Amino acid sequence: MFEMLFQALVFPGFLAAFVIGFLYLGIMRKVAAHMQHRIGPPIWQPFLDFFKLLSKENIQTKDSVGFLLTLCPIISFASVLTVIIFVPVAGFGMVSFQGSVFVVIYFLVMSSAFLALAGFATGNPFGSVGSIREITQLVSYEFPFVVSLITIGYLTGFEIIPYFSLHFPFAFLAFLTGVLGKLSLPPFHIPEAEQEIVAGPLTEYSGPRLAMFELARAIGFWVLISIGAVFFLGAGNIVMFAVNSLALLFVLIISRVVFARLRISNAFRLYWFIIGPLAVIDLVRALVGFY
Amino acid sequence: MHDYLLPFGPQHPALIEPVHIKLRVDGETIVGSELVLGYNHKGIEKSFESRWWAKGVYLSQRVCGICGAYHTSCYCQGIESLMGIEIPDRAKYIRVLISELERIHSHMLALGIVAWEIGLDTLFHYIFRDRELVMDLQELLTGNRVHFAMNVIGGTRRDVNLEQTRKIEGSLEKLEERFRYYMNIFKNDASVRNRIKHVGHLSKKKAKELNPVGPNIRASGIDFDVRETGYLAYKDLKFKAVTGEGGDVLERCLVRWRECSESVRMIHEALLTLPKSEIALNVPPVIKIKEGLETVSRVEAPRGELIYYMKSGGDKPYRVKIRTPTYQTFHILDEIIRGYGIPDVPTILASIDPCFSCTDRMTVVDVNTRKEKIVTKHDILHMKEDREG
Repeated sequence: MFEMLFQALVFPGFLAAFVIGFLYLGIMRKVAAHMQHRIGPPIWQPFLDFFKLLSKENIQTKDSVGFLLTLCPIISFASVLTVIIFVPVAGFGMVSFQGSVFVVIYFLVMSSAFLALAGFATGNPFGSVGSIREITQLVSYEFPFVVSLITIGYLTGFEIIPYFSLHFPFAFLAFLTGVLGKLSLPPFHIPEAEQEIVAGPLTEYSGPRLAMFELARAIGFWVLISIGAVFFLGAGNIVMFAVNSLALLFVLIISRVVFARLRISNAFRLYWFIIGPLAVIDLVRALVGFY
Repeated sequence: MHDYLLPFGPQHPALIEPVHIKLRVDGETIVGSELVLGYNHKGIEKSFESRWWAKGVYLSQRVCGICGAYHTSCYCQGIESLMGIEIPDRAKYIRVLISELERIHSHMLALGIVAWEIGLDTLFHYIFRDRELVMDLQELLTGNRVHFAMNVIGGTRRDVNLEQTRKIEGSLEKLEERFRYYMNIFKNDASVRNRIKHVGHLSKKKAKELNPVGPNIRASGIDFDVRETGYLAYKDLKFKAVTGEGGDVLERCLVRWRECSESVRMIHEALLTLPKSEIALNVPPVIKIKEGLETVSRVEAPRGELIYYMKSGGDKPYRVKIRTPTYQTFHILDEIIRGYGIPDVPTILASIDPCFSCTDRMTVVDVNTRKEKIVTKHDILHMKEDREG
């Protein structure tokens, strides 16, 4: 019982997700800054931002739907945090059963869907456009992402356990691009395109509610990178887990630095007509046992 | 889905200056746009009329933060033609030198912003890092990074010496290599090209009709550059205008990169053939010009043709009218933005390299009805009488 509580609240649960998630964001900003020939913020900057936001007031506009404004960040944050209990991070598995892959998929979708709902709830035109983009992007990346998870899940009994899957390169590619889409990282930073629609769904958000979304995003980093490290790169112990996670983070940073933003139509086409079919090839290979 | 109104500005991350564009949007496609000016009125034209000729130089410098040297150059050129004097050859060369350095940094600024608008921060930071080379050269030559007030009536304020020449040559060699690198990225990098090719198209026919100036018209294949008239020393430096084909965002960017290379070539040439003479004529601080004399002075600023119209009122101008390049360019915006998506708006806007702060004129808006109206001089005098009466 005590062990369970420790795992849920400290590692790999809430506290670890909070600290390491923000740390990932900080490392990403620092490394990307050095790649762009600038100094960049200190690594702990995301923590400072988070606590600053908590101390600010919640501003609610006239056109917004009040209870949704508060509800969406909480559900978005809670659903993405819940995912971690199904992932055996560095060997610490909490809950594990056949079919947990599907639970993970649903919780991840819920997080994005409530972010989109939050954008509509603000009644801001930029928020609405951002939400439309968020949903379009969700519909786009979900297909290859789910196919890649099911491909590996088929071999592990639809349970998230350490599995080394680089003999399924297309599934891994689909997973990586899915992660980029889920985290709105370049080239898929379409829903939050600063130059076009200000901050997308989060345009009208401020104070603790915005902090909640920031936290959800940081935990999204932690969860998705952990799934990648365990489920696709087969991290069974803590050393392998650390190495794999940092390697994945580095891939995300590279993508952030070298790509320009795609249009939403480009992204849709890329996911459905290029990455999707490639992922299906690997799914078929897994089904017929050709690997 | 019916169309809705998306406000773009006056406060928007993609804009560096306050301007308001009302976008009519259907889904993600733009079906119409309307430009609303009037957020940035400075009243400079009127201020000219209350200053001596020589003090106007400092005022004209402040029309624009990026192309200030062109404004002073154009203003001084106008006064010199009113006075009927010709500046020394060396001053002509130094004016060209400063102008071309400023053109390089202005183009690099514009292109860096294009890179930022398509969401590629890295390219933006790279271009701005290399822009520092030019800024340093400007500081070396004039003592200031911006607003360097190099032009005075009758010549220039400072000379160029041999040591400075050597440093300029060194930096320009580095820059030229970087220009080739960036041109390659704009042309060949898939993720950049995807965003800027076949976007914001302005055909040759439409360009002739709407008649923008600067790189915007040259990218549509029309050869129009004031430098070809050979004012200052451009005739001796064998200037050739850069034109492109296609008229999309990519072409406008490439024309700017090629112009940067051309500027570097001209600076090399100018430094090699710098004539030996004094740098300024001795002009008295209070200049008297016969009342009623008028002139039009033109230079090619980075954004296109810049025109000053001046009429003398004795020791002060009676009227100074500035037509900035953006004034002639911004009405193509509706043409090149229609039919493209919301993602393309910032890119297209950045690609015409607008400078709204120099262009903005006063707009009179009735607060109650939200209607704009044109106010004549007669109306203004009337208003004054009403208030006093």
